[in-house]
Amino acid sequence: MEEVKSTLRWTAMLCTAVGLVIFALSAEGYKAPEQKAEKDRADIILIDTSPVFGRGDKPPVAFPHDRHTEIMAEQKKDCFLCHLKESKPQAVSAGPAPQPESTERMSLKFKRLKDTNLKEVRKIYHDNCIGCHMSMAEKGQEFGPIICGECHKEGAEYRSARKPSGMDNSLHFRHTKAAQNKCETCHHAYDDKAKKLFYAKGQEGTCRYCHQMKTEENRISMPLASHMSCVECHRLGKEKKLEAGPVTCSGCHDSKEQMKIKKIEPLPRMERQQPDTVFVKTLGKDEKAETPRMNPVPFDHKSHEGYNDTCRVCHHASLSACNSCHALGKPLKDGNFVKLDRAMHQAGSQTSCIGCHQLKQQAKECAGCHVFMPKGLMEQSDSCLKCHMKPLPDSAAFPKTAEGEKELAKKLLQSRQPVKGTYPQGDIPENVIMKDYADQYEPAEFPHRKVVSSLVEKMNGAKKTSQLAAYFHNDLGTVCQGCHHYSPESQKPPKCANCHGRPFDEGNLMKPGIIGAYHQQCMGCHAAMEIKKPKECVECHKEKKK
Amino acid sequence: MSLSRRGFLAWMGAAGITALGSQAGATPRHFKGYPQSLCVLHDITLCIGCRSCETGCNKVNELPPPAVPFSDLSVLDKKRRTTAKTYTVVNKYLDSGQEKKPIFFKTQCNHCLEPACASACFVRAFTKTKEGSVTYDASVCVGCRYCMIACPFEIPTYEYDEPLTPRIMKCTFCHPRVTKGLLPGCVEACPTEALSFGKREDMLKLARERINKYPGRYVDHIYGEHEMGGTNWLYLSGVPFRNLGMREDLGTTPAPELTSGALATVPMVAALWPVLLTGIYALSKRKEKLLSGDKQNALAQALAEANAKSQAALTAAMEKAKREKEEAVQKAVKTALEQSAKKTQEQ
Repeated sequence: MEEVKSTLRWTAMLCTAVGLVIFALSAEGYKAPEQKAEKDRADIILIDTSPVFGRGDKPPVAFPHDRHTEIMAEQKKDCFLCHLKESKPQAVSAGPAPQPESTERMSLKFKRLKDTNLKEVRKIYHDNCIGCHMSMAEKGQEFGPIICGECHKEGAEYRSARKPSGMDNSLHFRHTKAAQNKCETCHHAYDDKAKKLFYAKGQEGTCRYCHQMKTEENRISMPLASHMSCVECHRLGKEKKLEAGPVTCSGCHDSKEQMKIKKIEPLPRMERQQPDTVFVKTLGKDEKAETPRMNPVPFDHKSHEGYNDTCRVCHHASLSACNSCHALGKPLKDGNFVKLDRAMHQAGSQTSCIGCHQLKQQAKECAGCHVFMPKGLMEQSDSCLKCHMKPLPDSAAFPKTAEGEKELAKKLLQSRQPVKGTYPQGDIPENVIMKDYADQYEPAEFPHRKVVSSLVEKMNGAKKTSQLAAYFHNDLGTVCQGCHHYSPESQKPPKCANCHGRPFDEGNLMKPGIIGAYHQQCMGCHAAMEIKKPKECVECHKEKKK
Repeated sequence: MSLSRRGFLAWMGAAGITALGSQAGATPRHFKGYPQSLCVLHDITLCIGCRSCETGCNKVNELPPPAVPFSDLSVLDKKRRTTAKTYTVVNKYLDSGQEKKPIFFKTQCNHCLEPACASACFVRAFTKTKEGSVTYDASVCVGCRYCMIACPFEIPTYEYDEPLTPRIMKCTFCHPRVTKGLLPGCVEACPTEALSFGKREDMLKLARERINKYPGRYVDHIYGEHEMGGTNWLYLSGVPFRNLGMREDLGTTPAPELTSGALATVPMVAALWPVLLTGIYALSKRKEKLLSGDKQNALAQALAEANAKSQAALTAAMEKAKREKEEAVQKAVKTALEQSAKKTQEQ
């Protein structure tokens, strides 16, 4: 009896021990899922049936398109291994290139022309993908996935690094040259009555004005349009062994490849009957003419064409004058209810004059001073006159003809006196000693004249921003105002310590004390202008010996 | 003591209702801080990570000299927290942008308008002063360290290496200096005015003005304006505050409000329960007493009755005996008289 009891006790102990070990092991056995290195690729097409057929039971497939194009090329096969030929719709047939004479084009879908139903589409993918991979396996070649989970993977094997692609004015020029100035090769309009595309001379605009991100009733989406036209034309060119643009995804959508696209320098002007100089029109479509309240703004259209990469920067919805959508009085639906005032003055917007000019001030040559300046419309009224120029004394009345307007605008713009440089060197203090800093450091010696010269040099530089500075800086003393702010331009502006003293002035909370002012101004400017020096405190003020 | 189940439940119900009543009395209200209380606005975009604030703090608070000198900026490479020997620390974070620009950010006690540490302290070692600081009185502290657990910013620290008189250590907002009209040590030492000092209302105004004037420079949020009911230290940043390890999940309810309901019942329970329990005890005792009194009465009555009965029986028996005796005497007398009369007749 005693023996049986003892055996039982030992068995129980052993069981407990084994249980504990198993528990401990299972707890130990948990490991965080391994972080797989994601591969950045610009050619990832997500084969996802859910937008068309609803959610499937397997995760969508990330398909590396360029990998397949490479293999096609190696095996001397063409795009039609995967893409079928489709006949062009009636409306397009007589329309734009590529190959206006051809009635066929390449479908962008995989091995089908239409998304019929889930079952069929799934079968097309499975039969063709797996079929091709299998046949390669049979031939003993390196082959792609054939098991469900190899394609339908949870979590990303690749990360899409696709960058939107577009055509800047330089690339446009290369295309016009290649198309021998036949704009109709790409540009077209839609005739509502004839339900056909046609070429409207002198009405050319950016593709995106009509082709939006989504396919609409009588116009396909921008992605579809560009792939059907751009890629197809490049492909045909390559077929004819001509110098043609990219046909791979990364050729247009990879940021590194985009950098390789050749730039035309200097870029000849694009011709589309645009004016050289013009007055910014203020009256909306249905508005009656009355004497303008503000001086009209002469605008140097020609120069601005060179400041931007595309016309789309300003002409964001059409190539017509701003006032055709943005009226002075009534907000119009066409202009998204943005009035002319906002369209011209809105800070932070690239399409408004002031917004774009302020963005240019972020260039490191300008940012040293402008980083401290509040953004938005300036309150000073004389800065308005920089654009809303006073009429010339000899011009009696505002011209009635368009040509007259252009002439007057040109005259006004030419009458501007760009400000270059500053006061004579001898009048600029060479060094400024800052001795306000506490007991810890020696006084700091500020190379005042050197700093001014460096700023003036940047202001007078060859960059386009320096032209902006030359026109918008008021006076020889404007450059001084980066530091000598909140006082009129003057050859003898107030010193820092005239206004800055003890910190935390309850009367003017925004005004720092003298020590704070020095550090914020010097260091803020150096940071904004990406000046790496000084790195240590003692580079400006030596440590005081005790 | 004999308390029935029903009786117990009834009492408990009554106790519950009183507790609920007292809780409903403590309605939530928002304390917007003492008027004119002082505040520091930390503009993180202006901090250059020079550690001058740490030096200043160490000096004015007479804290022990650090192991690594304040001029050594390599300590910034590792994330630090406040310790019993440092009331404030500067940490370095890297911008998530491509340039990975460093962002420096100073941590210290935020001096909540309604401090969690004070609400957790049962000896009232913490005081929210009208100047805005949360001060600590070591003389009453029992060393429970509840304040350390209560603080959502993980600021109070403990002198673990002090065997006899360990204290809770945390930033005092330089209360002794501030009351003398001096600047807090860190604020005075900051060379770039990344720390602005003034009335809380003014600092909020300043922060808003900076955001308005330089919209691209700041995240549109003043940290500390409402966090945990508001604090006397405010922060402006160019990157989301969570990127700087600051908690954005704290909500706007001050800590004491979260606990006041439950804690308010504690004194009620402490004060009322003895009374209540004594009452229950007394009542049940009384019942017992009453019950036992009745029994005695009945016994006495029964006894008395029994006594009376026996007495009556006795008297009756006695009377009977007397009567019988008298009857017997009379009978004897009668017989004797008859006999004597008979005798006389016969004679």
